[in-house]
Amino acid sequence: MLSLLSNPTILGQIVVNGLSLSAIYVLVALGFTLLFGIMRVVNFAHGEFVMLGGFALYYLYGMLHLPWLLALVLGALAVAVPSLLLEWLVFRWFYQKMFQSMIGLLGLSMVLMFTGLLVWDAYERNIPRAFDFMIKTHGVILPADRLVTIGAALATLGGFYLFMVHTRAGLAMRAAAQDVEIAETQGINTRRIYQLAFFVAILLAALAGGLYGQIYAVSPFMGERPLLVAFVVVILGGMGSIPGAALGGVILGFTESVLGTLYGGSAAAYASFSVVILLLIFRPWGLLGTPE
Amino acid sequence: MHALGKRIAFGALLLALGASQVSAEEVLKIGGIGTLSGGGTAWGLAIKRGAELAIDEVNKAGGLKVAGQTYKIEFIMYDDQYTGQGGKTAAERLVFQDKVKFIIGPIGSNPVLSTIEITTPEKVLVLGDGYTPAILKNEAHAPYNFRFTLTNLEFTPKMVKWVKENLHPKKVGILEPNDAIGQAVAPNLIKAYKEVGIDVWSDFFERGTKEFTPLLTRMIASDVDALDLNFNAPGDSGLMLKQAREAGFSGLVYQMGGPSVPENIEIAGKSAEGFISYEMYDFTSPVGKALTEEYDAKYGKGIINSQLPAFYNATKILFEALRRAGTVTDTTKVRDTIEHMDGYDAGVYGPLKWTGMETYGVNHQIDLPFFIVKVQDGKTVPLAEIKP
Repeated sequence: MLSLLSNPTILGQIVVNGLSLSAIYVLVALGFTLLFGIMRVVNFAHGEFVMLGGFALYYLYGMLHLPWLLALVLGALAVAVPSLLLEWLVFRWFYQKMFQSMIGLLGLSMVLMFTGLLVWDAYERNIPRAFDFMIKTHGVILPADRLVTIGAALATLGGFYLFMVHTRAGLAMRAAAQDVEIAETQGINTRRIYQLAFFVAILLAALAGGLYGQIYAVSPFMGERPLLVAFVVVILGGMGSIPGAALGGVILGFTESVLGTLYGGSAAAYASFSVVILLLIFRPWGLLGTPE
Repeated sequence: MHALGKRIAFGALLLALGASQVSAEEVLKIGGIGTLSGGGTAWGLAIKRGAELAIDEVNKAGGLKVAGQTYKIEFIMYDDQYTGQGGKTAAERLVFQDKVKFIIGPIGSNPVLSTIEITTPEKVLVLGDGYTPAILKNEAHAPYNFRFTLTNLEFTPKMVKWVKENLHPKKVGILEPNDAIGQAVAPNLIKAYKEVGIDVWSDFFERGTKEFTPLLTRMIASDVDALDLNFNAPGDSGLMLKQAREAGFSGLVYQMGGPSVPENIEIAGKSAEGFISYEMYDFTSPVGKALTEEYDAKYGKGIINSQLPAFYNATKILFEALRRAGTVTDTTKVRDTIEHMDGYDAGVYGPLKWTGMETYGVNHQIDLPFFIVKVQDGKTVPLAEIKP
């Protein structure tokens, strides 16, 4: 099977597939790791916010035919803004309570998923592609919508990095993540900072949901896979670490692409989870995380 | 006292009227089992809606009259999650908690096998689907279950022959879920292809996979010139079709099983153009058009899965069997009645015909025509009808 690697077209396609998968996985994992990093909340409802983002783009772009970029941003906002109510009702009770948050938010996940089922039925829906062409070079094919996803992942990562490092709000978030009490004694309104972090995390999840839904399909159950991916990615990279989410996404994306092409889907799944288990044994804080 | 006496008499009259109304309209519970979550949801909805349409017709006509008693039909359905455990749990709830005697569905070998494990000892009748021969060919000889759709044993050899003669593929690619269903289906399909001289490339994927591109890239590297989406669930087959085109696969794509043409068009969009599929039902026929109108009126214009007519048909045949048997409790008598209903036309597929004695040892397999269709300009057009 390694002989496939000597074929430059296949090798090129493996790299393209790996990049495309990495981009999707990084996007899906960012919001998840942010909530954990700042508030120590394991958001089991993450997949459902991804699902809501998918439906938002389905309506705004697929049904109302708004310009794609506007629909993507508006869709993410349309999920993130009303979610602040959920923050007040549910999430705020679980800040800094990791284990309680798992159980509580698993319940919220069910509520959101089955509400989605009641509202939208169970059929998988297609969001029309915004960029319906393929670039072919040296036999390697890159669908334009995958290229856009790679661009979106890079832009989101870059924007998010700038926000965290070069803004006062980002600095306050990092301070709150390191030590809540000391951050408060320095005059940081942690309640407000937590709300902001929650808003950004849901915005990122919904944004990922729009792109994920457009590449695959939209349904009330579409959140299951992104949640699993987010878990694997952040365990690989380190819970709460943004560079870790990027690294974890790239590792998982390329593992699936290389092993899936060379040895099949089962081998790729086996290898991905074996790496996660080994990492949990020998470096439980992940590749770029910090030990508690 | 006189006024009080009048009131008592009036009250007694009301009670009597109420009681007579209860006895005039008893409730008959019919159970349903199907996949209502995940990739196979379209099939679960086909069971649910197929049964509901038949039930609505009966209820609107005043109820089901059996041995002088009129019954209002109530439908109770549970999700099997397309798993054996899900089918078992759903069957246990229907049989022991809801006390139903008749179940419509499920689809899928694992859920059906688990369902009949519960229902057979309780003599509950199951009118379902599922491809594995063990559903009918078992030690008990499937005493209380019927299959209302064709299986790959019935249509695969005929369709492989049609594919060979009309599409001329040299090497076919097959992707199967890595579970009991995929592992049971793949060898039979590979054997059928090899028997007519078509080479096969196959691989497995884990259930829940949404990204098939690496596997499809691997397939393309194996010089495959046709992709058979075979028995994959609608959500999965649509994505495979879309991603095969995105990965640069320019060969023929068709589906030997399923079927899930409207879902594939919905998910794959333009990539579905030229897609060829096995089809269970001709919705362009007069009967098919009438059923579509009825469906649209109840559920709004949307996708009708082609498994729906099978369960609409099954429910209608069950009602006729109940009328003829004159009982809603003696399932053995109802079963015997269904077995002898050859020639009865429920207005869906034409006259009923039971088969299966030779293959399964019991005549509980329905015999039906099937169709081969093609997607052209985003619409389904018929290519051929294969008679029983």
